[in-house]
Amino acid sequence: MSEESRARFRQLVQAETGKPPEELTTRTPAGVERKLLYEADDLDGVAHLGALPGEFPYQRGVRASMYGGRPWTIRQYAGFSTAEESNAFYKQCLAGGQKGLSVAFDLPTHRGYDSTDERARGDVGKAGVAIDSVEDMKRLFDGIPLSDVSVSMTMNGAVLPIMACYVVAAEEQGASKSSLSGTIQNDILKEFLVRNTYIYPPAASLRICADVIEHASSALPKFNPISISGYHMHEAGATAALELGLTLADALEYVRAVSERGLHIDRFAPRLSFFFGIGMDFFTEVAKLRAARLLWATLLRERYAPQDARSLELRTHCQTSGISLVAQDPLNNVVRTAFEALAAVLGGTQSLHTNAFDEALALPSDASARVARATQLILQHETGVPGVVDPLAGSYFIERLTQDLADGARQVLAQIEAAGGMVRAIESGLAQRLIETSAAERQARIDRGQDVVVGVNRFKHDDQSSFDLRRVDAARVRELQAARLAELQQSRDGARVTASLAELKEAAARGANLMPPTLAAIRARATVGEVSEALAQVFGRHAAMSHAVRGVYQMQFQADEGWQKLRARTAALAGRFGRQPRILIAKLGQDGHDRGAKVIASGLADLGFDVDLGPLFQTPAEVARRAVDGDVHLLGISSQAGAHDELLPALFRELAALGAPEIQVIVGGIVPAQDQPALLALGVKAVFGPGSALPDMAAALLGLLESTPSGAGRGG
Amino acid sequence: MAAELAARLRSGDRRALGQAITLVESTRSEHRAEAEALLAELLPSTGGAHRVALTGPPGAGKSTLVDALGSQALQAGQRVAVLAIDPASAVTHGSLLGDAVRMQRLAASEDVFLRASSNLGTLGGTAPGTRESVLLCEAAGFELVLIETVGVGQAEQAVRDVCDTLVMLTLAGAGDEVQGIKRGLLEVADAVLVNKADGALEVAADAHARELMSALSLLRPGAPPHVAAVSAVSQRGLPELWRWLGERFTDLRQRGELALRRQAQLERAFDSAVTAALRARAAADPRAQQLWPRLEAAVRAGQLLPTAAARELSAALFGV
Repeated sequence: MSEESRARFRQLVQAETGKPPEELTTRTPAGVERKLLYEADDLDGVAHLGALPGEFPYQRGVRASMYGGRPWTIRQYAGFSTAEESNAFYKQCLAGGQKGLSVAFDLPTHRGYDSTDERARGDVGKAGVAIDSVEDMKRLFDGIPLSDVSVSMTMNGAVLPIMACYVVAAEEQGASKSSLSGTIQNDILKEFLVRNTYIYPPAASLRICADVIEHASSALPKFNPISISGYHMHEAGATAALELGLTLADALEYVRAVSERGLHIDRFAPRLSFFFGIGMDFFTEVAKLRAARLLWATLLRERYAPQDARSLELRTHCQTSGISLVAQDPLNNVVRTAFEALAAVLGGTQSLHTNAFDEALALPSDASARVARATQLILQHETGVPGVVDPLAGSYFIERLTQDLADGARQVLAQIEAAGGMVRAIESGLAQRLIETSAAERQARIDRGQDVVVGVNRFKHDDQSSFDLRRVDAARVRELQAARLAELQQSRDGARVTASLAELKEAAARGANLMPPTLAAIRARATVGEVSEALAQVFGRHAAMSHAVRGVYQMQFQADEGWQKLRARTAALAGRFGRQPRILIAKLGQDGHDRGAKVIASGLADLGFDVDLGPLFQTPAEVARRAVDGDVHLLGISSQAGAHDELLPALFRELAALGAPEIQVIVGGIVPAQDQPALLALGVKAVFGPGSALPDMAAALLGLLESTPSGAGRGG
Repeated sequence: MAAELAARLRSGDRRALGQAITLVESTRSEHRAEAEALLAELLPSTGGAHRVALTGPPGAGKSTLVDALGSQALQAGQRVAVLAIDPASAVTHGSLLGDAVRMQRLAASEDVFLRASSNLGTLGGTAPGTRESVLLCEAAGFELVLIETVGVGQAEQAVRDVCDTLVMLTLAGAGDEVQGIKRGLLEVADAVLVNKADGALEVAADAHARELMSALSLLRPGAPPHVAAVSAVSQRGLPELWRWLGERFTDLRQRGELALRRQAQLERAFDSAVTAALRARAAADPRAQQLWPRLEAAVRAGQLLPTAAARELSAALFGV
């Protein structure tokens, strides 16, 4: 823009608004400044503007024809209860226009426990389907030809037995291995970063991951043996640049691990796939996908110089953001999801999952799942959006943003590589701290009302409409699974199972590829739990290394009057109790999502609480012991996966057995409104849903403590 | 009241132990009075445990090693109490007590008592009440008390004063900064462990352990500490460490050194209690309250020596 036009624009804006343009810049939720107007000068330094789609560096898309040739795959992530119930649901989805399946497994399956394991209690069939053996997997795909339908499986920890169950189930359906198409997540590094559904320590886990990729490169030519995921980082509160940088750092670590086995880059890189989260910052999300393709192609060419162009193509699945969904006014989530879906499509995704509006409350019901699917069908068939390839290309703003995100991600990557690569950055906690700081900052901005969330911190609406939510009775599913397991143990050849598990352990100790012996064990009808335990005997089970940052809330809120009042109330209680008010924040069961728990722990510590944090994956008895040992006033249980209905009554029994019924229990997380009366009747003092602001929660907790005669413990 | 709590605590009621520690840590005088009555009641049942403190810079792997060492004790059939000290924020006084996160195996056992405390109100690596908490754990029948200190390393005496055995953790390739604070600790530590001796770091850890061993044989020629490279991941050096701890404890007891060490600790505890009591008296005295700010101003202005001012204050309080 010439000096003259710049001055004219200034005048026009000034005349309209009374302010110069620079006072009208906005900040994105990631804290990035955004100008009022972008123009041609902003393209300075933007690389590859002239590139075609389907050609290096692919920022315009991995295929020249994009959705003109073939629309993106509507792939809805689903699974719950028993294999039969999930099977019926899948058939309904396929009949409703869905093209591929995406299996959600329950938490015990993720963590390698059979449904009958004591640690599985409360979680069986809750957040996904329970799979204990190949027989369950066969029931899951009964009447669904695996040679035709592509299947995506979100599985990382127990990737070996689950992949083997899928392959053997397909085998016994009569499908040839070369016909199997789909994806297994198998992205173990990000589990250590954010999601926590690992089983073994990092080095053993990375080896298993590479075993699966290596095996698939020869045995399953059409199958994606990994889906390198930024989604969970996005959900944990990472900014777009951080999500991109860390995801590509993970990807490079996998490429290194597989290359070290002597496999040529072109043998496996074409089958690497990616997975990103798409949030509400519309243009950032469009640009993020373009930047991801640009950066991946550039990095891979720089470092590995592949011969096969397909090795450079970043193909990705996307899912609309779960944390953008709120429990208040849940129908508004339909609108949020639609905008996010549009961003994913404008960004050029290969497949997409759209969330159901009730997912901040429970698993999707049949009705909400239909709306979620229809969101994509409408986008494909009514809007005309898919007709033009990369339609936002050439926009000053989008091209600038694409370049800035690629540059920002490169900086993250450089930081990780300076720390010695992703495995080291995870071991030292550097990568976790990057995400947690970003997450705490983001939550603090929402809590202060700087980032607006309609119905949560602005434009609140009191009417609590109620919906029919899907409920899973974990105890019933566990009984059913227990009967199935008993049946399996009756009918199988016990000696063959024992021998196959011994061979598996031997292969694990020797360093051989673990897919063939796992396939043999699963064919012999060993269970998912048995295979996982055999490997645990060799590798050990990994203990969670949780970090929580400090000081973010205090920094953001120090000038805030309301915050000062909360601090004064905390200090007054400390005087009365003879110590700081004390809370244990704990997670029960196999749910590893700890972002919410950590953000709350961090905020309460900044307010002056002593905050006990326990390990992940605790039983009710273990949590009760932590509360009693610390003599806490309050016990906060974070529940994201619906296990509260069975685990909380058990927790109350344990507290009573230890003589501590006066410890006040509060619950935060995903708890349907219908469940709240039962929890309150049980003795829970308060329930906080997703989107609760920390200062509001803190005020409620202080209120509880202030109205208790002497707090919980004898010592006040 | 104290008798009832003492009886529950002795019978192994963990709720009673948790509440008793709250009392000894409390800043309220009536709680401290209760705590004293309780401790008086329990004193005959104390003294039985091996008190082992672990110290070292942040990130040295203290919690993970406590988990590994405690697991060894559990396997040997002992009951284990862990007192983990964490830093409090000087601004908000709050703290994040996350030690249990890295003590997964101990957290899963009913035979382990695990209490985290913030160091609010002290400067050192221990918490107010750590010494008394150790006694309470002993009265509750725990045979091993593991104290995990804040990784500051600036107040080694305070840490040494709550334990029979002081174990110091370090890492191969730790920076100069860390080396700087370590020297004081090296002079008093009973064991020096180079942690995380596994994987790529194993060779460097071995080399560092050898360096330490030769340096310590010069620094403390009479009784050099136990030096070893260990790993909580590979379990390397842990059975040996466990055996060494057992032998040391037996040896300390047989040679009467345990009693001597604990007596010296009590003397120092008495000494600082006297100082604290006198200071509290002075602060509460109307004459001193009047005199104190005037003397302080004179000292600040350089008109009076600090020692002379102190003498004047003491004379006003107690007569010449």
